[in-house]
Amino acid sequence: MIEVRDVTKRFGATVALDGVSFRLDKGEILGFLGPNGAGKSTAMKIVTTFLAPDGGTVSVDGIDVLRNPLEVRSRIGYLPENHPLYVDMMVHEYLQFVGRARGLAGDELRRRLEWVVEACGLGSVFRKPINELSKGFRQRTGLAQALIHDPEVLILDEPTSGLDPLQIIGIRELIQGLARSKTIIFSTHILQEVSPVTDRVVIINGGRIVADGRIGELERAAMGRNRIFVAYRAPAAEAEAALRGLGGLHEVRPVAGRDGAARFEVRADFGQDVLAPLGRLGQSRGWDLLELQESPFSLEDTFIALTRQGAASREVSHV
Amino acid sequence: MSNAGVIFRREFAAYFNSPIAYIFIIVFLVLNCGLFMTPFFLAQLADMRDFFGNLPLFLIFFIPAVSMRLWAEDKRSGTFELLMTLPMKSGEVMLGKYLAAMAFYVVALLGTLPIPIMLAMLGNPDLGAVFGGYLGALLLGGLYMAVGIFTSGLLRDQISAFILGMLACFALFLVGVPAVSATIDGWIGGFGSFLQNAFGLMPHYQALQRGVLELGDLAYFLGLTAVFLVLNAVWLEGRKY
Repeated sequence: MIEVRDVTKRFGATVALDGVSFRLDKGEILGFLGPNGAGKSTAMKIVTTFLAPDGGTVSVDGIDVLRNPLEVRSRIGYLPENHPLYVDMMVHEYLQFVGRARGLAGDELRRRLEWVVEACGLGSVFRKPINELSKGFRQRTGLAQALIHDPEVLILDEPTSGLDPLQIIGIRELIQGLARSKTIIFSTHILQEVSPVTDRVVIINGGRIVADGRIGELERAAMGRNRIFVAYRAPAAEAEAALRGLGGLHEVRPVAGRDGAARFEVRADFGQDVLAPLGRLGQSRGWDLLELQESPFSLEDTFIALTRQGAASREVSHV
Repeated sequence: MSNAGVIFRREFAAYFNSPIAYIFIIVFLVLNCGLFMTPFFLAQLADMRDFFGNLPLFLIFFIPAVSMRLWAEDKRSGTFELLMTLPMKSGEVMLGKYLAAMAFYVVALLGTLPIPIMLAMLGNPDLGAVFGGYLGALLLGGLYMAVGIFTSGLLRDQISAFILGMLACFALFLVGVPAVSATIDGWIGGFGSFLQNAFGLMPHYQALQRGVLELGDLAYFLGLTAVFLVLNAVWLEGRKY
C-alpha cells in the first residue's frame, strides 16, 4: 500500500533522510519510532506529498507521489505534528470546511460528519470555537479532520504528544478501532505507545532506518540474549558461586532484591531452557525460591541499543 | 473552480470572524472619506478626483494589511500543511485566498458609495470618471493584493509580510512618479523612463481616473497582477523541494 524506496531529503547542508526504504501492506499499522529530529516528520511529509523527495521514490496504492500528488492526497488522511486547526472557527465549521475541501457534499458530508464526531468523541464540543478547546479535544479535532473523507491510509504524526494518560488511551483505542479497515502509520518517540497498538515498527535515527520488523524480532536482534531474574533466600556469595557453577548461563550479576534475598540477573541464549535448572538449584540446596522470571527487554532497551548501533555503524562507515 | 470556492468561503469568513475586519473597514472609510470631505467643502466641486487621487498612496498601507495574513498565518499556525495536502492544486488554494481578500477589499470600497450618491444629489458629477475611478481602484487594489499575497507567502511572520508588501507596492508606485523617473534618468540615462513605462502604475491609474478606458492600461494591471499570482503559485510548488 505504501512503498518508500531509497528516499533522501536535504535541507541545505543537513541531511534529513538518507536512503530510507520501507513498505507497508494494506491493513497494516506501522509504529514509526525515533528520537526527536530523527527524520520521522520529514518522511511523513514526503508520503503525504507536502514535501518532495530529493531522491528515491514513494508510492501510495501504486501511485507515485511526484507524478500524481492529488490522487495520493485524496487517499490519505493526515494529522500533522502541529495541530492543523483554524482556531477562529467552530469545530463543526472546521470539519465541514475540510470535508468540502476534500470533495464531500450534501448527505454524504452530513453522514461523515456524524461519524467522525461520534468516533472522535467530539459531541460535547461540536459547536464550540476551537480556541476554547483543551489540548486533548484539539488533538481529537485534528484526528477527526484526518478521518472525514474515510481515507484508506492514515498518517498520524505524534498523535498523542502532549496528552494526559487518559486521553492517550482514548486516542489509542480510536486507532485500534480503525486498524481493521485502514493502513496506518503513526509516529511517536514514546515507546510504550507502540506495543498496545501494533507490533510492526520502523526505527529511524539520524535520517536512516536502523530497524524494521516485529518488536520481538528486534529485541532478539538488538539484545542477543534472554534475561532472567532469579532470587533465593540464601547467602549471597554462596548463591552466586552456585549460579556460576551452573552450565549454560552467560552472565550472572547480583542485583538489588528484598531483605534476605540473593537476587541475580542472568543471561542465557534465546530458546534455551534455564528456568528448570534454576528452580532445581534452589531445591537441591534447600533455598527458598523467591523469584524466577524471564524478563523480556523493554522497548526502551531495544530502542537504545538499536539507535546506538546505528550511530556506531555510521561512524565506522565514515572512517 | 469549486475547490477555490471552498477556500474562498473559509477565508472570507475568517476576515469577519475577528474584530479586525470591522476595524479595517472603519479605518478605511474614516480616513478616505475624511481626506476627501475636508477639501470638498472648500473646492465645492462635484467630482471624486481627490478621492481616487489619494488611493494609490493610501492603499499601499491598507492592502498589505489585508493580505499579510493570507499565507503567513497558515504557516505559523500549522494549517499550511493541511492546505497543501488537500486534494486540490496549490494554485486553487491561492486563488481562493486571493479572491477572498479581494472580496473583503470590495466590501470596504462599497462603503464609499455614499460619496458618489451624495455628489449625484448635490451636483452633476462626470459619471464616466467616477466609474473609471472605481474600476481603477479595483484594479489597483488587485495589483497590490497580488503583491501582498506573494510577499505573505515568502515569510512566516505577518508583520514582516506587511512591511515587505508595503515596500514592494511603494516601489511600484514610486517608479511611476515623473520626478522619480527623471532622477533615475539623471543617474542612468533612460533607465528611469524605462522603469516608468514598464512598471510604474501612476500613468495607467491616472488614465483610468480620467474615465479613459484603454486596453493598454487594463492589460498593465491585469498582466502585472497575473505575474505576481503566478510567482506565488511557483513559490508554492517550489517550496516542496
